[in-house]
This record gives sequence, C-alpha cells and structure tokens, in this order.
Amino acid sequence: MDSGPLANIWMPGGEELAKLAPLWGLVGTIVAILLAALVIGRNWRVAGGVAMAGALATAWLAWQGLSRIDAGWGGMAPEGAAPMLVVDQFSNFFMLLLAVFLAAVTWLWFMGQDADLPEREARRNDATEFFVLVVGSAFGMALMVSTTNLLMIILAVEAASLPSYGLAGFRKKNKLAAEASLKYVLFGAVTSAIMIYGASLLYGHYHTLDLAQIGRQISVQGPSVLMGVALFAFMVGVAFKVSAVPFHFWCPDVFEGASIEVTTWLSVVSKAAGLGLMLRIIAVVASELANPELLQYVAMAIAIMAALTCTWGNFSALWQTNMKRLLAFSSIAHAGYMLMAVAIIWQPSADGASGALSPAHPAFSAIVAYLCVYLLMNLAAFSCIAFVYWSTGSESIDAFNGLIRRNPLMAIMMIIALFSLVGLPPMGGFLAKWWLLAALWDAKLIWLIFIAVFNTVISLYYYARIAVAMVFRDDDRPPIRAPIAGQLIVAACGIAIVLTGTLWAGKLKEFSDHRSRDLYAVTRKAPTNSIADSSAAAISFDVPDQVKGGDGKID
Amino acid sequence: MLDIGLNHYMVLSALVFALGLLCMVTKRNAIGILIGVELVLNAANINLVAFSRYQTGAGDGHIVAVFIILLAAAEAAIGIAIFMNFYNTLATIDVDRGDELRH
Repeated sequence: MDSGPLANIWMPGGEELAKLAPLWGLVGTIVAILLAALVIGRNWRVAGGVAMAGALATAWLAWQGLSRIDAGWGGMAPEGAAPMLVVDQFSNFFMLLLAVFLAAVTWLWFMGQDADLPEREARRNDATEFFVLVVGSAFGMALMVSTTNLLMIILAVEAASLPSYGLAGFRKKNKLAAEASLKYVLFGAVTSAIMIYGASLLYGHYHTLDLAQIGRQISVQGPSVLMGVALFAFMVGVAFKVSAVPFHFWCPDVFEGASIEVTTWLSVVSKAAGLGLMLRIIAVVASELANPELLQYVAMAIAIMAALTCTWGNFSALWQTNMKRLLAFSSIAHAGYMLMAVAIIWQPSADGASGALSPAHPAFSAIVAYLCVYLLMNLAAFSCIAFVYWSTGSESIDAFNGLIRRNPLMAIMMIIALFSLVGLPPMGGFLAKWWLLAALWDAKLIWLIFIAVFNTVISLYYYARIAVAMVFRDDDRPPIRAPIAGQLIVAACGIAIVLTGTLWAGKLKEFSDHRSRDLYAVTRKAPTNSIADSSAAAISFDVPDQVKGGDGKID
Repeated sequence: MLDIGLNHYMVLSALVFALGLLCMVTKRNAIGILIGVELVLNAANINLVAFSRYQTGAGDGHIVAVFIILLAAAEAAIGIAIFMNFYNTLATIDVDRGDELRH
C-alpha cells in the first residue's frame, strides 16, 4: 500500500478541501457551463443562466466561509510546512466580491442580448465560450489572492490573464477588438515573462518558492543588487495587472476595444486581484523582514508609483471623448489611490524599537472599503454607458447629452456614481477616500495626501463634464429605453453608493476592518520553519529517500 | 577538461534572457515578439532547473519548469489565435499597424 516514491506525500483532507469551497464553486461553474452546452445544446439562455447560478452559489459559499473562518491562515499544507494555498478572511472577502460582480456582469450581459447590435448573432452563438472565459479568469483572480507561493502566483496570474486576452478580442471581425486583444496579449506576455524570470532569480537566490521564507532569507542575507533586480522583475507582472504606471498602456486600449461587459468585468476585478496579490506579497515578505530601512525603500517606490499612476490617469482622462476610454483612465487613477494605501501597510514601529515593523490596520481596511465602493461605482457607471450604447450605438460623451430628460432615473444614478468617483460627500466614494487619506495621515505621508487631493480636484473636471452634458446640454435626442431589470441594477448601485456613504458607513467600516484583520495579523501565524529545511518544505512535501540517488542527490 | 557547473548555466540563462529581451524590443512582427517571450521563459527554465539541480536539490525547481513549459504553450496558443484574428481583420500582423486606438 505504501510503496512507491510518492507514498508519503501529504494529501489534504476533507476539512482542508472544504475551506476552498468558493474555488470549487468557480471550477464547478466552468464544468457545468460546458456540460450544459453538451447536454442541452448551445443555448445562450442556458449558458448565461448556469453562469449566474454558479456565481450566486460561489458568492454564498464565500459568504459562508467568511462567517466560518475564525483565526484565518488555514494553509493547504501539512503541519509546519509552508502552504501553497491560503484561506483567510481577506481571500474569502475577495472571492465574495468576485462572485457578486460576476453575477452582476452576467445580469448586464443578459440585458444586452436584446440590444440591436451588429454582433448580436455572434454574441448568442458564442455564449458558452464567453462564460467559460469569464469564469475561468475569475478562477485565476481568486487564486491570485489566496497564495504565497511563487509557482502558484505565476500560475494564478496566467490563469487570470489568458482568458482575459481572449475576452478582449471576443468581438470577432471588429477592428478595435482585434487591436485591443493584440496589444493586451503582447503586453501581457512580455510582462509575465519578465515576472517569471524574476521569480526564477528569486528562487535561485533564496532557494525557496515560499514568500515568507524569502522574506526571512532577505533578513538573514541582507539586501543585494540581485535581490533588487529579481524583486523588481517579479513585481512587473503584478504592476501590469494593477495597471500601474508605467505598465498601464494596455488598459485604455483594451477597455475601449473590448465589449462593454468585458470592460466592466476587467475594470474592477483585474485591478482588485492585482492589488490583493500585491498586498499579500508585501504583507508576507515584510512580516519576516528584520530591516525596516529596506522596507522603507520599497514603500517609497510604491508611493511614487502610486502618485504617478494617479496623476497620469487623471491628466489623460481630461481630454477623452470616448466614455469607455475615459473611465479606463479613471480606473487607472483609482488604482493609484489604492496603491497609496499599499505603500503604507507596513510601518516601522513608532516607538523606535529597532528592527520592529508593525502592520497598519487602517491601510488594509481602507483598501477593502475602497474596493467595495469602487465595485458599486464602476458597475453603475458602466451599466449606464452600456444602456446608452445599446440604444444609440455610440460611446462618446455626446451620446449622453440631455440624459436627464431622456432617462431621468439613469441620469441621476450616473451622477451619483460620478460624484462618488470624484469622492464627494455624501457618497461612499467620499468615505472610502477619507479613510485612505486618514491612513496616509497616520503614516505621515503628507506629500502623498497633497497629491491625492490635487488629483481629486483634477478628476472633478472630467467627471463633471459628463454630468454637465447630461443635465445642461440637451440637443433633442430621442429617449433612452432600458429594460426594467436593467434600471433596477443601476438604481440598486446608486442607492447602495449613497447608503455606504451615510447610513451604512459604520457597517462598511466594521465589515472592512473584519475582512482585513487576518491579512494584517498574518505575521504571527505564518509557519515557522527553520531556514535550513526551507527548500524541501516549499513545495509542501519532502522528497522521499527513494527518489534521491545513493549520495542523497537528485540525478 | 572543462567542468560544467552552475555558473555556466547562469551565464547561458542571462544570455538567452538578453536575446529574448532584445527580440521583444526590436521586433515589430507579433510572432517575433512572441518568440522573444518564449526565449525569456526558457531562460527562466534554465535558471530554475540549474538552481534546483545544483543548490536546493529538492526538485521543486524542476516542477516549476514543467509548469512554465505548459504556460508557454498555452500563451502561444491564445497568442496565435489572437494574431490570426488580427490578420483576418487587418491583413497584417505588424503591431505598428494597430493604431486605431490612440488619442
């Protein structure tokens, strides 16, 4: 029974596997969509319905997980070894966000099926492939926030990216989509190749694939040039996902070229997954770091990147006339705001104790709150663009002229979303930004606060431009008709934005504090292997003696 | 007799990486850029296998290399599908010809 070289590999038990329930939900959805196409036939209603059901089931599983996971950090590994997959409040929160948004995008897709588009037939015929790709990218993004292992990070980033390339070019025979997907795949392939090369250098330098152990080794060996190069190369791939300057070039082109559902999908979750991954990498590596000076350099680099990302996004958005492209730059700017919080998640202790780093809970919490509100704002704004596009065939700002008369409900909700994107009270966007700035204030990064406020003022101009077009620039265009179910989703988002900024503010604060608690407490609970046996433990099983040659080496 | 060791592999890997980078930067043909990407991925593979063989001895680098070969194949598959789509609409795969999306 126990013969063979693989006999003593650790296998996860039912309890461990049950902790990954949301991931199973996503995988099950993919299989169900494919099986439904096989059994029932290629029917767009069935494909969309199965995807919707799978998304809701995944959301429910993630919600259950949130209440069940107590201390967090349930790693998929035997006792004492470094985990390849981790499950905690933050990863489950992220899967909840992902699944809810997946359901919303599926809903939006259903709304668009009746629109009179040139690619209408293709949209219906290829529904199965479309949802397999969407759910597949969701699975990759879910993996991105639940791992601390270099191999798993690489696989997760690729699993999220490859379907996204396909989605960007899903409108076949469309010039813009073809160009967008070409740019996306080339840019993505180049950055991910550099990231993988960086990972190979990290592995070579520190002899382990586990981030916590890499952090520990950095403390022991001290910083070096090779470390800097390897870490930088590795972070290129992550920065690409976040669309941080200077790795943002794909973002506006892809958002403009892709269909509106895909743009909506990528605008929120692709950035959120990148941020989650970056947050976890920095949280875990820094938790083992004994030298605060090194961390301060990293934090400063991220702060500068955040400032550049934010400013670049906002300035470029100023003269855009295509709504999707404008919101693409706006999403780059928002990624910049969130990166500001990433820069301050670890701070050297205030009491000056040497070698001590302490995590700043407000920063983690601000990111979680910002992501929640950002989801609502983008969903509302993109849904409005979608309905205007579906009934006028235009995505330019001019198509919004006089929207307040043509469809009052949608115009009001759009204005709420835009003001929330600026960060005006009493919207949720204001509160999220306020918490972010408060965290920056605690970290004494005053210059970054100035940049954030300066950017908010700039962004007011281009968001207000849309509002002005909707309210004051009426040139007698016909009314916009949208299905009741479509109005419902826009209205729900708009109301939720206002509520998160007012009545639900306390709830949002409590929610985000709780969801981010584990990640910031990660340090104390990470497995404590000695450095000597780190390499074997990094793949969570020991190589049995039989595999090794007589001299104890692998030949 | 020359004794081949870790350093030789590292030099080889750095060389392949540099060539791949050069290829990615200079080529304007989409397939050329993809070949550059493959070179960089293979440089990473050389690194991983060499470090795994000479330093850790645990075999985890080998495992990663196998996964990266798989990733390279998947990336080439979707990349070439997208190039085909681009070619079908614009009759070229010169990346500089894709300039509709620019403001």
